Amino acid sequence: MARDITTEEAREELISPEEFSYWKMVWKRLRKHKLAMVGMYMLIVIIIICLIGPLIYRVDPNYQIEGPYELLSPGAVDPNGVRHPLGTDDFARDVLARLLYGGRVSLLIGFSASISAALVGAVIGLISGYYGKTIDNILMRITDIFLCLPTIPLLIALASVIGKGILQLIFVIVVFGWMTDARLVRGVILSLKEQEFTEAARAIGVPPSRIMFKHLLPNTLAYIIIGTTLGIGSSIIYEASISFLGFGVQAPTASWGNMLQGAQNYIWRAPFLVFYPGILIFITVLAFNFFGDGLRDALDPRLKL
Amino acid sequence: MRNYIIRRLLQMIPLILGISFLVFIILSLTGDPFAALMENPRVKIEDIRRLQHQWGFDLPVYLRYFKWLFSIFKGDWGPSLLYPGRMSYDVVMARIPVTLQVMGISFLVALIVAIPIGIYSAVHQYSFADYLVTSLSFFGMSMPTFWFGLMLMILFSLVIQINGMPLLPPGGIMTPGILSEPFWVRFVDRLKYLVMPVIVLAFNSMGPWSRYMRSSMLEVVRQDYIRTARAKGLSERVVIYKHALRNALIPIVTLVALSIPGIVSGAAITEFVFNIPGMGQLTLNAITKNDFPTAMVCLLLIGFLTIFFNLVADIVYAIVDPRIRYA
Repeated sequence: MARDITTEEAREELISPEEFSYWKMVWKRLRKHKLAMVGMYMLIVIIIICLIGPLIYRVDPNYQIEGPYELLSPGAVDPNGVRHPLGTDDFARDVLARLLYGGRVSLLIGFSASISAALVGAVIGLISGYYGKTIDNILMRITDIFLCLPTIPLLIALASVIGKGILQLIFVIVVFGWMTDARLVRGVILSLKEQEFTEAARAIGVPPSRIMFKHLLPNTLAYIIIGTTLGIGSSIIYEASISFLGFGVQAPTASWGNMLQGAQNYIWRAPFLVFYPGILIFITVLAFNFFGDGLRDALDPRLKL
Repeated sequence: MRNYIIRRLLQMIPLILGISFLVFIILSLTGDPFAALMENPRVKIEDIRRLQHQWGFDLPVYLRYFKWLFSIFKGDWGPSLLYPGRMSYDVVMARIPVTLQVMGISFLVALIVAIPIGIYSAVHQYSFADYLVTSLSFFGMSMPTFWFGLMLMILFSLVIQINGMPLLPPGGIMTPGILSEPFWVRFVDRLKYLVMPVIVLAFNSMGPWSRYMRSSMLEVVRQDYIRTARAKGLSERVVIYKHALRNALIPIVTLVALSIPGIVSGAAITEFVFNIPGMGQLTLNAITKNDFPTAMVCLLLIGFLTIFFNLVADIVYAIVDPRIRYA
């Protein structure tokens, strides 16, 4: 079915924006990155299991079996005839169900904490970079101060004050996690604001807030995405560490971190209790790091983080 | 250069004051350590008021901060609340040797392993070994240290046992009653307690370091002078280890300098898991048990060392790399 192609159409096909769009190039580069693809598939599997798993494996994660059925070994059957594929914990609760629900909590904290931290950092970097001078000086000195603070002890101090819910924990992680994003975005803004399109916007009288959020911020999206992806892994580890020490997510709500806290006392009697939550944290963080590393190379090959 | 150093030193002052203020505020949120005494019927209410006045707990928090700051200028860090009868400063100093030992050894082990494997994987880029090293570095970065510690404990103290005795002791720093034994017995005993924490800590920092070494090496071997060296007919060995390595090691100097604060401040969670009485454990205890004078000493020491070694890193970098000029 031959069809006459006008020169106009041919030219459009050659330089069609889809073909050369930035995000398509990113995806092309990302697909070549073996470790990143491995990480991506691992993440898809983990997220699907945590989201769908509890719908299929319908066991209440907080139900404590009556009688002495704590620390059942994997595969044991309790008197109600329920099989526990991964055993029960020190309160006779089903471990598999707790792992599935705990995964939701850990992933939720990981995602929301690092997205919020990246956004807070981006806004601070944006204001600092755009206004420059005194404002920049003050904001960057504050950033320096936060960067010199010892993170883990202060995370724990703040978590023990603010309270032990999921939201509080996210807040605490954001307080000590926005600095790298702020510095990165500030650097990008410093060069962007010297470019013609910003100057043009200013010349026709666009107000500063609109320049910042409509013209400059979208241009830093790549860096915000990098910051977020690389931040999720460390947010999950922070959650796990704080909950492990008993200052994070509180029982009966399960998270991978607080499951380890209970398990540590039974390390000799029931070592598998320590093994499961930890290996899941490890695999998830590993997947995020693989993926984040590849994504960084794909979004900006010159960037070093 | 001299002006640069003076300027940087002066910049440290507001930074350290800012850190001390922020840390003080965060710690003051944890509340009044004397409020708990109210519930003790044997303590008179006037005594509590007197204590609160002495410590400034009847003042608003910013005034209490200045009260604390002035006593610091007089060299008085205040008594420890967690260890009654001892000064907080002495409590902290007593903990440093243990942490220096554990962290120092881990640091050396990490460096000795990370640099060669970083070089190897750069020289054999995209080989099987390179992928292996890269994967292992990611493993080290992604492993929660406390879980890795618990896993090692299960392995070395539960699974592997010799004559019913665990191969390695699961925590602590020495066997009770060992002090009367001869030196080499004490030495071997100490080593046994060090193995697991050192593996955990070294594996954790090895990851980023070997990747750092790898990318630094890759950058150097792309440069013209390396091509010249190859064109002269030098052997690959000389090119890599004599010409490239020296430049590739420059960024590692920064890395070493920036790691020194961590050697002193310790790794709080690893020390907690292995029950090592070092700085990290003390910091955690002081914070969670409301001993704010001790917590302030610990946190400020860490903050100060971080700022100071940032400066040291910049200066040393300029010394080893003449291309860098600070004005």
